[in-house]
Amino acid sequence: MKGFSLLKSLATISLGAVLMVGCSSGNSAAPAANGGSTPAQTPAAEGAGGEVTAQIGVVGFLSGSGAAYGEAQKAGLELALGELNEANKGKLKMELKFEDSGGEKEGAINAVNKLINQDNVVAIIGPTLSGEMFAAGPVANEAEVPIFGISNTSEGINDIGEYVFRNSLPESIAIPTAMKAAVEKKGIKKVALIYASNDDFSVNGYKVMKATAEKMGLEITGEATFSNGDVDFSAQLTKLKQTNPDALLVSALYKEGSMVVKKARELGITATILGGNGFNNPKVFEIAGPAADGLIVATPFSPEKQDDKVQAFVKAFEAKYNKKPDQFAAQAYDSLYIMSQSLLGAGKAEREELRNQLAQLKDFTGVSGKLSFDEKRNPIGDAVVVVAKDGKFVPFE
Amino acid sequence: MDILNPYNLQVFTFILLNSILAISIYITLSTGQLSLGHAGFMSIGAFTASILSKQADVPLFIAIIIGGLAAGIVALLIGAPTLKLHGLYLAIATLGFGEVIRVILLNMKITNGALGLTGLQSIGNYLYDFEKAIGLKAQSLGISVIQMKSLTTFVFMVLLFAVVLFLTLRLNRSRLGRAFEAIKADETAARAMGLQVAYYKMLAFIIGSVLAGICGGLYAHITTTITPDDFNYHKVVEILSYAVIGGSEVVWGPLFGALVLTALPEVLRGLAEYKMLMYGLIMVGVMAFRPHGLIGADTFQKLFLRRKGKAGNEAKEGM
Repeated sequence: MKGFSLLKSLATISLGAVLMVGCSSGNSAAPAANGGSTPAQTPAAEGAGGEVTAQIGVVGFLSGSGAAYGEAQKAGLELALGELNEANKGKLKMELKFEDSGGEKEGAINAVNKLINQDNVVAIIGPTLSGEMFAAGPVANEAEVPIFGISNTSEGINDIGEYVFRNSLPESIAIPTAMKAAVEKKGIKKVALIYASNDDFSVNGYKVMKATAEKMGLEITGEATFSNGDVDFSAQLTKLKQTNPDALLVSALYKEGSMVVKKARELGITATILGGNGFNNPKVFEIAGPAADGLIVATPFSPEKQDDKVQAFVKAFEAKYNKKPDQFAAQAYDSLYIMSQSLLGAGKAEREELRNQLAQLKDFTGVSGKLSFDEKRNPIGDAVVVVAKDGKFVPFE
Repeated sequence: MDILNPYNLQVFTFILLNSILAISIYITLSTGQLSLGHAGFMSIGAFTASILSKQADVPLFIAIIIGGLAAGIVALLIGAPTLKLHGLYLAIATLGFGEVIRVILLNMKITNGALGLTGLQSIGNYLYDFEKAIGLKAQSLGISVIQMKSLTTFVFMVLLFAVVLFLTLRLNRSRLGRAFEAIKADETAARAMGLQVAYYKMLAFIIGSVLAGICGGLYAHITTTITPDDFNYHKVVEILSYAVIGGSEVVWGPLFGALVLTALPEVLRGLAEYKMLMYGLIMVGVMAFRPHGLIGADTFQKLFLRRKGKAGNEAKEGM
């Protein structure tokens, strides 16, 4: 008996030892030359015949609760990669290196550190969540590596530093666009707000909605909050119904948001419902059903948009993945096009040069609309306002 | 392995941070109390330290220490009514406490609600300013500034960890440590021997909470951004799993657990989408073959064939 358990503990220790060895060998397999890597160093060698090879790191939410977002981004990037490498043959060859953050800050920090210091990438696309960007952005900025957010809509992302970019329109642009359109078309004067108070994304959206309403001189009749994970919203909505608003502004993720919309219609609220970016998900129609009709949302991308570029993208995406792209795929797709344009402009895969090229970006036309950066690298672009109709979002007129 | 690579240093820094967390759960567990409030204490420490360092310009390390003490004071208030509970009841009560803290933080103005605090000072930058002041520059050591900052953070964490570990080992061999062990083995017997059980349990709870609070402050100033949701139920499970996987009989158990659980996701990074699958398999494997954790009181004795009388038999009765 004693001998047997001795064997077991030995086996355990050796398991641990194997893990440790795995750790060290895994790391030593990487290029050893990066010990003295300085930001100025050229991260990727130039290939033969003037072809520039650029390695770009991607940090995505690829496992865990938000993996659907990360997967959509990965799909968009891979589609763009294939097209770009074909189009730029002989001039530029891009390689993507995907790392999973698991939606955690530590994960994002580690992934960014690995991409910069071990894989020596020229730039990083991602991470998926704004919270991750706030943690990982400073790491890349300090190392003077351009980091390009494709789905970070929070305020203050660009304030992290000179090397932080994004093509995802902040809520402070998207929401006011939708609100203005709705107010003009529907003659809204009084609004009520409801949002998830325990979710950073929803709170951010709520703040923008409130500020916009105040700026536009709309009367705020009431405010209510709920928590992510809630399923019953009748108390809050009944209270808001009594204030008799012309429009109900909902800032939430698609799951709770759709349930709010459904319940509001059930309770007989006839006001126009306007939602934030969180509603840009086909699941809204599954959850809310016909109650979603009339829901107004601002989105950077709509697959229904009658535009050659958009339709070509939708077709290519559908051919490859057998489903319609969402905004995450579209913004990821655009980001690689921006990268390639800037890399071609720079003429070499060098971090500093790439940053300068990115900062000069002007009037880039992608599938998610036109894009420029202002002097603070904030994206300037326009959002499409869409309205839910018969199970899909159509342009709001 | 290239030790000066900031990526490796970053991973080691997280390992050390989680190791201190592991010690904090170990100390609470060493009196047989299963507390699930560690994430709550961590968040108190994290937010106290961050608000002090960001808005009140308190020096970073003083802010972190105050954060730890704040967690300790809350532990004192919470401990008084809840430590009379045992086992699962205590677990549920402390779990509830953690959630209450999270909801309070979500609704406070000063914590910026769900958006949390961003742009906090990083320990690396803070220490590098000191080093520059005393004339220690990265260039003179022949490494880049980034490496210098990562290295400084790492060295600082090593020193802090060494101090905490040393104190914990001292604690184990002291009168207090023996009392903790006696209480864990059999509370009634300990009381019969004249030990003030309530006092010792409270002490262990507070020490664990202060450490968790300090870890919170460190976490905030390593990641430079915190939201209340960073300290949710997931974090509790993570901290607890250090002790479950590693074993909670000796301090080396949770430490080994923290090392393995922090390093594993990075080691398995190459497996990409199969990462979580492997991670889960290893967990199941460990629990199937070592239900008391990877490292028990008997592991070292057997390994080195150093059998000191009955010492091994006593420890076997633990968790």
